[in-house]
Amino acid sequence: MLNLIQNEWMKLWSKKGTWLMTGLLILAVIGMMGLAKWIDTMESGGSQDWKTNVKQELTYTNESLEGPNLPADMRENFEEDKKVLEYRLEHSIAPLEGSSREKMIMNSSTIGSFVVLLTVIVAAGIVAVEFSQGTIKMLLSRPIKRWKILTSKFVTVNLFGIMLMLLGFAISILAAYLLFPSSGGKELVWNGSEVVTVSVWGKGLYMLLLSFGNVFVTSTFAFMVGSVFRSNGLAIGLSLFIYFTGSTVVMLLSKYEIAKYIVFTHMDLTQYATGYQLIEGITMPFSLAVLAVYIIIFLVISYIVFGKRDVTA
Amino acid sequence: METKPVVELKNLSKTIGSKKIIDDLSLSLYPGQITGFLGPNGAGKTTTIRMMVGLMKISGGDVIIDGKSLKDDFEEGLSKVGVIVENPEMYKYMSGYKNLVHFARMHKGVTKERINEIVNQVGLQNRIKEKVSTYSLGMRQRLGLAQALLHRPKFLILDEPTNGLDPAGIREFRNYLRVIAENEGVSVFVSSHMLSEIELMCDRIAIIQNGKLVDIRDVAGADESHYYIEAFPTASAHDLLVAEGFTVEAFKEGFIINAEKTRIPGIIQQMTAQEMQVFTVQSHRKTLEDQFLEMTGGGQIAESHTK
Repeated sequence: MLNLIQNEWMKLWSKKGTWLMTGLLILAVIGMMGLAKWIDTMESGGSQDWKTNVKQELTYTNESLEGPNLPADMRENFEEDKKVLEYRLEHSIAPLEGSSREKMIMNSSTIGSFVVLLTVIVAAGIVAVEFSQGTIKMLLSRPIKRWKILTSKFVTVNLFGIMLMLLGFAISILAAYLLFPSSGGKELVWNGSEVVTVSVWGKGLYMLLLSFGNVFVTSTFAFMVGSVFRSNGLAIGLSLFIYFTGSTVVMLLSKYEIAKYIVFTHMDLTQYATGYQLIEGITMPFSLAVLAVYIIIFLVISYIVFGKRDVTA
Repeated sequence: METKPVVELKNLSKTIGSKKIIDDLSLSLYPGQITGFLGPNGAGKTTTIRMMVGLMKISGGDVIIDGKSLKDDFEEGLSKVGVIVENPEMYKYMSGYKNLVHFARMHKGVTKERINEIVNQVGLQNRIKEKVSTYSLGMRQRLGLAQALLHRPKFLILDEPTNGLDPAGIREFRNYLRVIAENEGVSVFVSSHMLSEIELMCDRIAIIQNGKLVDIRDVAGADESHYYIEAFPTASAHDLLVAEGFTVEAFKEGFIINAEKTRIPGIIQQMTAQEMQVFTVQSHRKTLEDQFLEMTGGGQIAESHTK
């Protein structure tokens, strides 16, 4: 199996397109950071004292809490915010500035959206291109069962995705150190019983991991379409279409119970870290379970079709 | 004939939908022998070969390779097989060497030394580090042969291997196959529609039509002594030959008889004695094409370079 993965990895990096994509990712991450820096310099000036800001925010939170018909989960959020804000004033701990090095590192989930696009391209082609170039007959007339070959390809796609995520993260850390000053403040959060400091690196990696969920699901879908229809273009097109329209579909269906069970509702796991949930009443374990079911369905279809297919001219 | 067969097709069948593409095909292939696989277009050659190498699922029967059933023990069975299915499509964006490394990893026990050895054997040592996209068709065929032989297979399957090769290339390829078969005892199975090719290359020929095996015969045995005789008047020539006990077959303006060489002068003498005018007496070699058409009842052949 290791040999097979080595083969797929070698083939992947022998293509110019792979290097081009990796280059694009690096440029995109640098570009994104550069843009943030540019916007920051344009908006600089008029920076208030952080205590004034926190006090304003606390007043707003208090007002909100007095509102008569506040939903229970919103109320909970505001309560937590309130505790954190009060803690800041009490212990004189400044929040992180928007354009600080720490904030940039924690904001790692945007890397995921670039990586989705690139990983989908690889996932869509890794089986389909073998068919379109005719190399599939060289690959399958070997003393190796087909499921092993498909597995090596699937593993390679995910290794590629993980590698891009880590690379993107490394580049963004580098850019964060080069472009942004460290903030004196700290990120605080209410953990249920007390207010604690959030580790910048931990949060950064956690966001990265959550956004990988999207990469994993979308590329598995592309992998399935690619190996079932043997068409590279169809797989890329369909996957990206779904990726971009998914949240719209959820919005349209959000009134109905079924919205809880469609894959788009759960693909973006960062909703649990940012608090902007697409629909109410879903939890992270529930999302993970739904995603697991979809992934299994995608893979079962891929394996059955690939395993049974007669390779003709 | 000699020893145990390397490969046995046992009642091999392939059904697609309700149509039987391959019907109960049984065939044994022996070490050191080159067996040709002939048939009109659509007879099922490629389907048979694809079932033998795992590209198509077997609907019925089995393929036994070196004692291992492909159905029960696919990996062991195929580990003894080298395959070239039509044009060897290599990964064009990689060098020839990387392609070989790629395929070597899919077999057990292929060392770097072995890769270099095979590269030298097929004469690609000067270009092996270049990308396959820069190779000519002939070079790609050589690379195809190299990948098929990497793991020292006991059995080599070639589907239309000389497609697109020039005459010199075909000849070289043919000689190379002979050497492998004789020196290493490899059993070779070649499908082709180029009859003359098969005739020159093979020891034995299996002919398939409509998914069924029509005939298996040795190539040497197919070359009997036939003579073409043209004499006038035709009718009396015919009578004379029949009286002499030959099997006579009308051909063009004369007859073809099956005779030993020593009897020919006697026939000519008798004909001149009876004042017949003898125009032509020549040895006639039935080409494989004639035999093939006889056996398959004139089935369409895509292309023939026999004459």
